[in-house]
Amino acid sequence: MPVGPFGIDPVIWAALRLIIAVGLAVFLVLNGALAQIFLERKIQAVMQDRLGPYHTGPFGLLQTFADAIKLIGKEDIRAKLTDAPFFLAAPAIVFSPMLASFVVIPFGPDFVGANLNVGLLYLTTLGSMTVLGIVIAGWASNNKYSLMGGLRSAGQLISYEVPQILALVTVVLYVGSLSMVDITKSQPGLLVNALILPFAFVTYLIAALAETNRNPFDLPEAESELVAGFLTEYSGMRWAIFFLSEYGEVTVVSAIMATLWFGGWHGPGVDALPVLGILWFTLKTYAFVLLFMWIRATLPRLRIDQLMGFCWKVLIPLALVNIMASAVIILAFADPRLPLAAVNWLLVGGLVFGLPFTQRRRLLGFRKRTRESVAMRDVRLSP
Amino acid sequence: MSDVLEPFFFAVFALGVIGAGACVVTLRRITAQALLMALTFASMAGMFLLLGAETIALFQVLIYVGAITILILFGVMFTKQDDRGYGLFFQRQTPWAAAVTLVIAVPVAFLAFSFKDPITPSPKGGDLIPLAASLFTDYAFPFEIASVLLLAALVGAIVLVKRDEQ
Repeated sequence: MPVGPFGIDPVIWAALRLIIAVGLAVFLVLNGALAQIFLERKIQAVMQDRLGPYHTGPFGLLQTFADAIKLIGKEDIRAKLTDAPFFLAAPAIVFSPMLASFVVIPFGPDFVGANLNVGLLYLTTLGSMTVLGIVIAGWASNNKYSLMGGLRSAGQLISYEVPQILALVTVVLYVGSLSMVDITKSQPGLLVNALILPFAFVTYLIAALAETNRNPFDLPEAESELVAGFLTEYSGMRWAIFFLSEYGEVTVVSAIMATLWFGGWHGPGVDALPVLGILWFTLKTYAFVLLFMWIRATLPRLRIDQLMGFCWKVLIPLALVNIMASAVIILAFADPRLPLAAVNWLLVGGLVFGLPFTQRRRLLGFRKRTRESVAMRDVRLSP
Repeated sequence: MSDVLEPFFFAVFALGVIGAGACVVTLRRITAQALLMALTFASMAGMFLLLGAETIALFQVLIYVGAITILILFGVMFTKQDDRGYGLFFQRQTPWAAAVTLVIAVPVAFLAFSFKDPITPSPKGGDLIPLAASLFTDYAFPFEIASVLLLAALVGAIVLVKRDEQ
């Protein structure tokens, strides 16, 4: 009889492994979400000069647990005129791709569910499936605000998928592999991809903010405009599943950024003690999670036309230029790092310093229109 | 173990493709049809996975489920939902449709049942680098034609939605 790992029969081991893997992923997501909600509340409170949760448990640590228990205990409400099968399926359609993303994320050396040779493509594919769930949720709720939220989300997510994928393509061109493990292994030292391909990173960061419906791109659930967007009709655990998947999505995106641009699990002492890689990876991932929270506490929400205009007129053209330049440089130079870095930093500079100029022109035009309308009003008001 | 699992998954995916496809044609609710079409695409991707072409499977999901279905839903949501009390299934075109279907289905069925398992060449969709190499060498011309077509569609879309400057 063949004996698998730990002396267990291979047939049983296969099933057992599956259960353990799914359990681990769910555990990670649930804990990550609980931790992130607590962090988000505390950090936003600090940034807004408040205390944040502090009653339940030490430092309010148990507040999110209390909230989770409350959500689980809530009555399962479904409005009569919602489209039952789709209304019930939508949270699952949003949640499961996010959960499946954890398979290819390399938490540490040899700590990866599956080293797919198309890992990055797999992650992109799963990311694009989330839209389907959100659109269905918006439609099945049979509510105008939900529908508006779903439509906004469809437009936004499809648009921002383009710069997101273009940014990933630049990294893939440079590294020469779609496997998350290979990409991690390609940047062992201090010279991480973020220093060589900063523009791809900036593009991805912005697109990822939009893909995860975070501020300043949280238009599909803009409270001041759409009640809660596609979440309006959801309550209790179904609502919680949407939120779990949003936080899980943030974790996945942060993990992708940590892997692609910041060396993944590489860090001091990993060669001697591989388990340390998990620590480094988690720290890097959570650094981005915190960055997302910082951005959320800082920036106001965009308008929908600004959102689309920025994507199609600024991000996508610049990302295309970046891809073209990167492809040419990688083919032309034996060691493409220096020219690649030069082009990328130039593009970052162009984006950062170019935006005020375009904004200034818009502002001047806006002031001119305001003056004209004020003049018109004065003309009307004058006897 | 794969001897048991592979036919099982093949059956699941075949059922997904055929069943969801049939529902797309027969159902009367347009949103459900669009979503079932997504299921058909996803099952098709599963077929590709069984053939060992995971790259193509992922592109299938990325493009068809993630983009095309969303665009269809986008269009569906902008149309009215009330006046859909009738389906297009039982109408007078049925004999013609049956005739056309038979003309296609009989040769396909004939081919399918006369198919002898040849020495199967290893499917080439799985490895990314050979796939990319063949796309840009052997199939470079169709690839370029497709890209020009897409570019024309893109420009056409921009022209169509451009506002008239008075």
